[in-house]
Amino acid sequence: MTLVYHSINGEISMHHRFSRRAVLLSMGGAALSASMPVRHAFAQMDAEPWAFLTDDEARWLAAIADIFIPEDDHPSASQAGVVDYIDMQLATGYGQGQGLYLQGPFPEGTPEQGWQLPVTPAELIRNGIAAAREETDLATLPDTDRLTWVEAFSKREDPIGDAPAQTFFGELLSLTKEGYFADPIYLGNHDYAGWRMVGFPGAHAYFTERVGDNAPTKQPPMGIAHGQLGHRAPRPISQEG
Amino acid sequence: MATRTLPKTDVVIVGGGWTGLTAAYELAHAGQRCVVLERGQNRHTATSFAGPEEHDELKYALRHGHMQDLKKETLTFRNNRDQQALPMRRLGSFLPGTGLGGAGIHWNGQIWRPLPSDLEMRSHYEDRYGSQFIPDDLTIQDWGVTYDELEPHLDFFERICGAAGYAGNLNGETRAGGNVFEGQRSADYPNPAMKQPISNTLFGKAAEKLGYNPFPMPSANVTQAYENPYGAQLHPCTYCGFCERFGCGYFAKADPIICVYDRIKDHDNFEIRFEAQVLRVEKSEDGQTATGVTYLGEDGVEVFQPADTVCLNAYGLWNVHLMLVSDLGKPYDPATRTGVVGRNYAYQTVAAVDAFFDSDVITNPFMGAGALGVVVDDFNGDNFDHAELGFLGGGYIACKQYNGRPISYQPTPEGTPAWGGDWKRAVRENYNHHGDLVIHGSSVSTHENYLDLDPTWTDAYGRPLLRMTFNFPDNDRKMGDYVMNRAVEIAQEMDNVTSVSSVNMAAKGKDYSIVPYQTTHNAGGAVMGTDPTTSVVNRFGQMWDHHNVFVFGACLFPQNPGYNPTGPLMGLAYWTLDHMKTDYLSNPRPLMDA
Repeated sequence: MTLVYHSINGEISMHHRFSRRAVLLSMGGAALSASMPVRHAFAQMDAEPWAFLTDDEARWLAAIADIFIPEDDHPSASQAGVVDYIDMQLATGYGQGQGLYLQGPFPEGTPEQGWQLPVTPAELIRNGIAAAREETDLATLPDTDRLTWVEAFSKREDPIGDAPAQTFFGELLSLTKEGYFADPIYLGNHDYAGWRMVGFPGAHAYFTERVGDNAPTKQPPMGIAHGQLGHRAPRPISQEG
Repeated sequence: MATRTLPKTDVVIVGGGWTGLTAAYELAHAGQRCVVLERGQNRHTATSFAGPEEHDELKYALRHGHMQDLKKETLTFRNNRDQQALPMRRLGSFLPGTGLGGAGIHWNGQIWRPLPSDLEMRSHYEDRYGSQFIPDDLTIQDWGVTYDELEPHLDFFERICGAAGYAGNLNGETRAGGNVFEGQRSADYPNPAMKQPISNTLFGKAAEKLGYNPFPMPSANVTQAYENPYGAQLHPCTYCGFCERFGCGYFAKADPIICVYDRIKDHDNFEIRFEAQVLRVEKSEDGQTATGVTYLGEDGVEVFQPADTVCLNAYGLWNVHLMLVSDLGKPYDPATRTGVVGRNYAYQTVAAVDAFFDSDVITNPFMGAGALGVVVDDFNGDNFDHAELGFLGGGYIACKQYNGRPISYQPTPEGTPAWGGDWKRAVRENYNHHGDLVIHGSSVSTHENYLDLDPTWTDAYGRPLLRMTFNFPDNDRKMGDYVMNRAVEIAQEMDNVTSVSSVNMAAKGKDYSIVPYQTTHNAGGAVMGTDPTTSVVNRFGQMWDHHNVFVFGACLFPQNPGYNPTGPLMGLAYWTLDHMKTDYLSNPRPLMDA
């Protein structure tokens, strides 16, 4: 069994919580290395509830997001909190169809006519994951087979259940990239993983004196709520069902 | 029937954006009691757009926090009349705003003037290339107003915005370093041009080497402390990189709230009502004039606001929609090619070129501003010989640095996969070494690109949705390719460039799509002119059919020039207001004979 999550730079900012998981987390990154068996009798109770996702959905999303953005010198998608990000997005405005015109009828359109589904993004993703898992549970495949499966998905023309494959795939890829690069107030981009990777200094931006320079920016990233919230670490995701 | 009728006002203004608030300012000072009806909420630049909270790419750039709610109002779209139009269920290709200031709070601040020949497009091309030159399927026409007539008004709006730039034609004197193709200016820009980042500078050098005439993009991102003619105070730009899709809490990007609203809000003749959704314009019994407008008030009750004069200042598309649902003017019918409302809808023809630098060039793409660019105008309008080219129109080529925000700004060389380890490495390696060239091209009007009402879907108020039928005309596909190839040549000439890639949104065989963002430059549909069979309003912006209805915005453009529309449409607004104040209001009547 493995945990997808491992702490980045050993920085964990959850000391205000008093759950068994917090105790584990406070042991630092080494204690949560991929080989350490942390599954135990209380795992389910420990897990902080997801806002929208089920544990199975979270595992599936972690698996595909880490194919989209794998770990290298920089964290993978799930290590950077992308599943936490997606969970929050699906539970709130975007996932629930805010700003989405959902009046019927819903005839099929051309790709140029855009989104024509009678469902919210959260419904699309929930139904899509359920149908995909019925075919093959990505989360249980070995790593090399996961890549093959996602490559096939990226070119798939047949729907997955009711979900048009390309629309479903496009939403998943967009959400993953958003979660990697959005301000950490949205629970992804943990410890500025995405911003550090490209060198984006963040929301506090005054460049009048520097705009003409041809020189690297040394400014460390600062998000909207930098230093105020102590952003929490991504939830651990057990890869066992 | 409206449930409640209010006392009559002199002028009712639909929409509280750039043109609506400006109309209120000018007409209130001319002694007219003005009521502005804004469908969105009250907000203010100081309190609603302050950093760092405003610097939230997800909320504003991707989730469209400042844009209109499609659940309430949207449109249907199709590429041609053989298709069924389907609702635009999600925002994409263009982003109309809502709330005080309208889309004027989230523009990029690119403040252009049309070329003199743009305003006389049909007669100009016929004069220069012969009467057979313009293909039959194009419905391009003259605007009915000339550059010389608009010049004082274009100039005044630049003063309202504190525009930053360098004149290329000052009182007839051509000046290197400015746009040598522009029409004659009566004065230089009120503020000096912006500083340029390395990518834009290298573009300018390469363009010069090829014999072109690069110049700093004219900008309403202000470069020094400035007071506009209404008394508004603007501050210097911080190059923070959060312009388009964001409001500017620094007071450095001219917007209608700080530049106009703050200077009129306490005037006795001014009143604004928020969350006031205008449903229709009401007409007199003889149908010759409008009597006012009916709107849905905050409490959900229909309210009739009578007025002597009605000004339509909504976003261009919604002005056309309001006319169609109110039966104002004759709707355009493409089968018979008669009628005018909805005719000559045009867009913008956009292409992009990416230049990738070696590691010696560090671009810092997050240091940006909406109008931070170096531009070549040698292939815009009729600035180049079209005789052998097989198309008309053109576009500017700009190297811009305005949106280095990391969710959306992920330039990678051609052939990079869309995800996975190779994608991740390419994003990391190219983020800081990329030059962003845009081809911002004109859009001709045709018989088949138009707006009307949809037979199936309705908005939240029960009105039929607007229906858009649009595809890129062949003329613009050729134009886009031609100008894009000139941009590729410039990119290849740039120092330290290792690879160049390009994409033409209007490439042959590629249908216009409502999905990817292109520009919020929807034009036409209620066009101006001198012939009532081919225009909705006369050359003063006054409806031919109802002389007390005046129309504002890019819906007036008979076709769309290769420039961003805010400068031209505000020049037209001041032109219309000037004629209202000096000629119409004291003696209301048609200002031109039909």
